[in-house]
Amino acid sequence: MASFLLNRLFQALVTAFGVITLVFFIQRLTGDPTALLLPETATQKDFEAMRQTLGFDRPMIEQYLSFLGDMIRFDLGRSFIQNAPVSEILASRFPQTLQLAGGALLVAFAIGLPVGVIMALTRGRAISRWIMGLVLACQSMPTFWSGIMMILVFGVWLKWLPPSGTGSLAHLVMPSIALGLLSLATYARITRSAVVDELGRDYIRSARARGVRTPRLVRKHLLRNSAIPVISITALEISQLLAGAVIVETVFAWPGLGQLTVQSIASRDFAVVQAVVLLGAWVTILANLTADILYSLVDPRVRLGNQ
Amino acid sequence: MKSTLKLLLASVALTTFAMPAFAKDMTVDLSGEPSSLDPQVQWNPDSYYVYRNIFDNLVTRDNEGKIVPQIATSWEQVSDTEMLMTLRDDVIFHDGQKMTAEDVVFSIKRITDPEFGSPQLGQFDQISDAEAVDEVTVKLTTDGPYPALLAQLVKLSVVPKHVVEEVGDDAFNAAPVGSGPYKFTDWNRGVSVTLTRNDDYWGDAGSIETAVFRAVPDAATRLADLQAGAADLVVGLDSDAATQLAGQDDVQLLSAPTERVAYLGMNLDKPPFNDPELRKAASMAIDTVGITEGLLGAGEVSVAQLASPAHFGYAEGIAPWEFDPEAAAEIVSAKADVAATPATFATAPVFDQRIVQALQQMLNDVGFNVSISVTDMPTYLDIVRSDPADNAELSFGRWSCACQDADGIAYPLLHSGSNWSRVNDPKLDELLDTARGSLDTQVRQDAYNQVHQIVRDNYYTLPMYQAAVLYGAASDLTFTPTANESLFLNRMTWSE
Repeated sequence: MASFLLNRLFQALVTAFGVITLVFFIQRLTGDPTALLLPETATQKDFEAMRQTLGFDRPMIEQYLSFLGDMIRFDLGRSFIQNAPVSEILASRFPQTLQLAGGALLVAFAIGLPVGVIMALTRGRAISRWIMGLVLACQSMPTFWSGIMMILVFGVWLKWLPPSGTGSLAHLVMPSIALGLLSLATYARITRSAVVDELGRDYIRSARARGVRTPRLVRKHLLRNSAIPVISITALEISQLLAGAVIVETVFAWPGLGQLTVQSIASRDFAVVQAVVLLGAWVTILANLTADILYSLVDPRVRLGNQ
Repeated sequence: MKSTLKLLLASVALTTFAMPAFAKDMTVDLSGEPSSLDPQVQWNPDSYYVYRNIFDNLVTRDNEGKIVPQIATSWEQVSDTEMLMTLRDDVIFHDGQKMTAEDVVFSIKRITDPEFGSPQLGQFDQISDAEAVDEVTVKLTTDGPYPALLAQLVKLSVVPKHVVEEVGDDAFNAAPVGSGPYKFTDWNRGVSVTLTRNDDYWGDAGSIETAVFRAVPDAATRLADLQAGAADLVVGLDSDAATQLAGQDDVQLLSAPTERVAYLGMNLDKPPFNDPELRKAASMAIDTVGITEGLLGAGEVSVAQLASPAHFGYAEGIAPWEFDPEAAAEIVSAKADVAATPATFATAPVFDQRIVQALQQMLNDVGFNVSISVTDMPTYLDIVRSDPADNAELSFGRWSCACQDADGIAYPLLHSGSNWSRVNDPKLDELLDTARGSLDTQVRQDAYNQVHQIVRDNYYTLPMYQAAVLYGAASDLTFTPTANESLFLNRMTWSE
């Protein structure tokens, strides 16, 4: 286990290094942020002065090395757009995205899982096809559309929920559903096929022969044995949710990392983009690692490392 | 399974019963959060919508656009390069300290210090020195005669020297202390900025007690907030949004012409637009009235010069562009091989793409060969500021100098010394220099009259209209939008 973790940690560091190097150079190939900072009337002299103040006049490789140096010292740098340390900005935004992703995962899990089980148990019947149609609709609706529609219906017409922003649990409902819909569909489909797989196995047949009723069968046998694909999907969904948050947060004015990412890319706020991408990479790495560890807990046949 | 069901029920219950409280404070939806609340740092609408309420400026513009006293009660040009300003002696900063001439001098020196690196430096760097003559008098010295000085000082916010020096630039930006009608209360990063009325304000602090400025990036969401009553005032709407609001009793649309001038820029160094005849054809191909009334319809005013009625230096009597696509097609067909040279129309998403596409269509209809190239803003700025040889053939812009003086728009776009300009005409340079260097308003106006006529005669660039700004507001809010796109809370009132 220990050597497994060490090995994975080393891999993670290599990945993170590759990610930040890529982001560092790609961003700098795509335009000069000083042009956005200065008003239209700025002269060439103003531009040069601004580049010098921000350190963009130095050779690229020098900028890169000093950036790596900062990273090693856990210094994420400073946003020259928001005039604040990047660590402070992330600290205020990350919990918001975590809340939203949590809400979305809850929606996806709490609805997707039972729906998947029901679809598996009723497979071949009309009801299963109806549910499948609904699931497909969830998966096909783009979030920028479903989000705006929800705002119009529940925020503007019915006035049940605040149309945008944060501050209470009610604010979390619509963004969570909008973000969760896609994952919900994925969960339902994966659960369905995992349960269908299990249903054909001998132990289910013998359990049924022993007279075990369906609810108990699902609870005691099916769910645990179908868990592995669901866990792997969760690891993937977490990175999906981070990506989906970009749109949902913009639509609902949710002050999380997604919105921050869009704004920072648009304004070439290098330090913030680098930090967000690095954070995203770590979240993905950790989610996958957690999934690997969970496998061995759920299914004792899975052993980690070479033993 | 039971716990899953419980969760499911809980989320259904939440959806059905959670009733949010809509507080009746003044809530303004901006398109983004302020980049900074330090008025001497960032320069964008989302920032100055907020900080112009926290700080006083040396002078300001009233709702009619006239420059009127604020901190400075009077001013006198004592020589070509020196101005004496007399200040109010009853201005108290929000921390209780009195404002003195030293604070004004400090503010000017801070923003003009290249080390400080203010993006606004270019608007103030002609001020070479500031000096406190006594408690209530400040002497400003400029590099040379600088006629736009007062117009620029409209934006010079006075910051308290003692606070900035004590807490440092970062802390000041995070919790600014000003002398304006509203005090900074709270900045919830990424969410909102809250201001509270300054009841000790020397002037009229207005009737709104608390104002919350929120960052709502999506225009459809801002609109929904307004319709749902979650916001009282929203910015950044376009005419499509206006159509949606039409016929609703509890909301109103407010609009005003701004000091932005929209124009079609042409590359005079490359075919097809290096040919004056073809530029003329382009001017005749474009239906500016169709664009302002058909597409926009927020009160835009057609202009055929790089200035608007909101600018000093606007020339009366410049003939509007002639819209005559048949005549344009004739000119083009006589020079078909040059006119068919592929022309790139560089643009970015911030510009209204409906207009860009309409322009492309109108030009292609008479025989040009225009294709649109959309890139994001930094790339676009790189392209349009590059050398003429690498530059795109066409670009669309909405220029603002935030000074309401023709110098701020005609000079950068027309003077050969500016890196935005594609024009190289010694006569124009001379006139622009004269207008920039004289304190005699008549001399300046005469020079601009000639500048606009030369541009019109040579089709150097195709100014189209004075852009307008659209706000959505609750119908019981009274607010007069101004050309400088400010949201002064103390000029807004609720009707009972």
